[in-house]
Amino acid sequence: MTDEFTTPPPKRRRRVMPAGRALVVILVTLLVWAVLYAPELKRSAEAGDVGTRRTVSLAILDPLVWVTDHTGLTAAANAAARAAGRDPNAAVGGVDVGVDPLPSAGPDDHDQHHHKIVKDTDMREPSPDKQLRVAIVGDSLAQGVGFAADSVFKPFWAEVFKQGRISTGLARLDYFDWMAQMRTIVERADPDLILVMVGENDNQGLLNPDGSLEQDVGTFDWAAHYQERVERFAKIATSEGGHVVWIGLPNTSDKSRWDFIQRQDAIFQTVADELPNVAYFDSWNTFASADGGYSAFYRDGTKVREIRSPDGVHFNTDGYALLTEKAAQLATKDFNLDPKTYAP
Amino acid sequence: MLFPTVDFALFFCLVFLGHWVLNHNARAWKAFMIAASYIFYGWWNPRYIFLLAGVTAVAQLSAIVVSRQEDQRRRMWAMAIGIAATIGPLLFFKYYGFFAVNVTNAGTTLHTTLTPPLIQVALPVGVSFYTFMAISYVVDVYRREFPVASWVDTALYLSFFPHLVAGPIVRPGELIPQLDIQRDPRHLDIVGAGWLILGGLFKKVVIANYLAAAIVDPVFGEPARHGSLEIAVAIVAYAVQIYCDFSGYTDIAIGVAKMLGFQFPQNFDRPYSARSIQEFWRRWHMTLSRWLRDYLYIPLGGNRKGTVRTYENLMITMLLGGLWHGAAWHFVVWGGLHGAYLVVGHWKASLRARGVLATPPDTWWIHALQWVSAFVLVCVGWVFFRADSVGTALSMLGRLVTLQSGPSSLVTVPVLLAIAIGMAVQFVPRAPGAAIRSAVSQLHPVPMGIAAGFALFAITTLGPRGVAPFIYFQF
Repeated sequence: MTDEFTTPPPKRRRRVMPAGRALVVILVTLLVWAVLYAPELKRSAEAGDVGTRRTVSLAILDPLVWVTDHTGLTAAANAAARAAGRDPNAAVGGVDVGVDPLPSAGPDDHDQHHHKIVKDTDMREPSPDKQLRVAIVGDSLAQGVGFAADSVFKPFWAEVFKQGRISTGLARLDYFDWMAQMRTIVERADPDLILVMVGENDNQGLLNPDGSLEQDVGTFDWAAHYQERVERFAKIATSEGGHVVWIGLPNTSDKSRWDFIQRQDAIFQTVADELPNVAYFDSWNTFASADGGYSAFYRDGTKVREIRSPDGVHFNTDGYALLTEKAAQLATKDFNLDPKTYAP
Repeated sequence: MLFPTVDFALFFCLVFLGHWVLNHNARAWKAFMIAASYIFYGWWNPRYIFLLAGVTAVAQLSAIVVSRQEDQRRRMWAMAIGIAATIGPLLFFKYYGFFAVNVTNAGTTLHTTLTPPLIQVALPVGVSFYTFMAISYVVDVYRREFPVASWVDTALYLSFFPHLVAGPIVRPGELIPQLDIQRDPRHLDIVGAGWLILGGLFKKVVIANYLAAAIVDPVFGEPARHGSLEIAVAIVAYAVQIYCDFSGYTDIAIGVAKMLGFQFPQNFDRPYSARSIQEFWRRWHMTLSRWLRDYLYIPLGGNRKGTVRTYENLMITMLLGGLWHGAAWHFVVWGGLHGAYLVVGHWKASLRARGVLATPPDTWWIHALQWVSAFVLVCVGWVFFRADSVGTALSMLGRLVTLQSGPSSLVTVPVLLAIAIGMAVQFVPRAPGAAIRSAVSQLHPVPMGIAAGFALFAITTLGPRGVAPFIYFQF
């Protein structure tokens, strides 16, 4: 390296500047953006996991939001967001990427099967002009099931409503309120079959929609409160006569998560056993290796298939298709779902 | 660490400060930049840094061994062994799962007990890119085009964070000499760099992410539920999405490097304005194209060994280029299609050279026809590239050409507008952009920062919520 600069000064008309002034430009850019975007950043920070990062982020963002609010910039920023087609007051969680729009009103036969159910019932026979309505709800795993359901269920017999939303769960109703959303789905789509796969993001405190803490994670009562949420959710899903296949969480490559997931699965199974028209699909044991451990592969007769995503949590396309087929088969076994709706 | 995140913005501010403070002290500066680059890479998964360090060590040892061989035959063997060792981790991470499943199933069919361990291997981000750079280094040393660099320079060449995860694939002669030139802190083209970064963010966040969510993912996810119109628009939308996604990333990478006083080679030059597939490959992912040309096509013999061998070499190069993107048949078909396009292009050129085929007249409508043909051929290739299997791609193309009816609710005005903007950037003259940059550069730093802050706010507000990874991170 030499002491002299070997790069000659540019001869362009565009003006260049020293690094110190460039740093000023960068800092002013970020500051202006942070002030204008502070309300959105704060909402994102509030939706984050409870912990140091969230605390520090909120400590930095609170004064910025104060500035934004008191200078009228929040209103201007919200107006800009509305102009861009985004609701600035919408829940920050549950982005609707990959989510099918719901009908604006319930179907004509909406109230036909509205009666109190005390034991499992058969599902109705679909016809081409009265297709079976299948909704897939839950987190990113449900999103994968949703895309697979589009292929597994035959368009001639079944209409699929993909409702999986990434990063959501039943723990943080402040981030995304699945209870309210499930009610909306039931009211507007009135699904006959609901595949639920949720819980992967629920290893955290239980927060209410208003942000208040219901129960901290790691406490003795967490499981009881979580079970109450699972039960409430399942009851909403079946409230208009729909049938639920609750897909339990599979094991993960990270063994440290197993205990918690198994407790969740036990809760899902207990609720499914207690409630009519709710069946539990045991994905843990279905996809575990012969020795009970994690396996990314599935032996289907003589063929081996790779079914899990390299992240050790999700499935790949093949795996989601297999999982969806098995969930549909369980619905046939427990609720007499007509196999022609999904069989190849 | 993804570029369009707050984490990266904070990281870059610190690196920018450290970079210019240490600029006069070469040793401290290099140590700082290597540390920063490894932190950037380890942000995804700290274990990845061992892989990067391992590839660096293997490449450097290979280069040293190659450089010490005077005998040409020994030199070539040393290079071959060095390349094999350098590319080994890439082959393992990228193709082992595919290999193990297929060998196991073949073994079952043949009633043998040939079952390699079924291990799922996660592909570390960026490994394809820095492995290719490492190979460039070993081969350039073999060819005596570049001397062996120091361990520190090699480590920084391969890990330098702006290019680390998705290119551009920078050759040693383009970057390593820049490491030893003291950058001039008095003449920083902040406006040029900022233009690239904000433009790249716009392409990625506003256009690519929107099109992916609004039409591409739903249609490619289940083509059987969509009619010909939605499929046609989704294919064009994917062409725009992948261009905006990848060139957006590259623009940000080049802009970030520029802010640190580095020049990176251009990676995209309005690829959809091409009027032939040959021209498309001179404009699309240019650093990969030239890598394939210089380190695969030419060593295979290029066009020096007769017509048939030229065609073979083109096909081999493009098939391997397809396979580089992933162990799946749809990538191989994509590469094969482009190989076939290039072979036909060469064949037509040779017929014209011999006077068998007339050269088309140089008129605007012939140009338009050529442009449409090239774009359609590229789009057909993209169907195989994006679909999750060859079957899905064929099903999409089948539904497209048989004019299937179906809903068209995904073909909306915003989708068409996003496609139009993505295509328009291929054709707008460069002069107005240069004039805007020149005008902005006259501003004082504070108003300049305010203007950039508003532009950044507009981009983040227009784009969908959340951070979508770049498409090329998976390769």
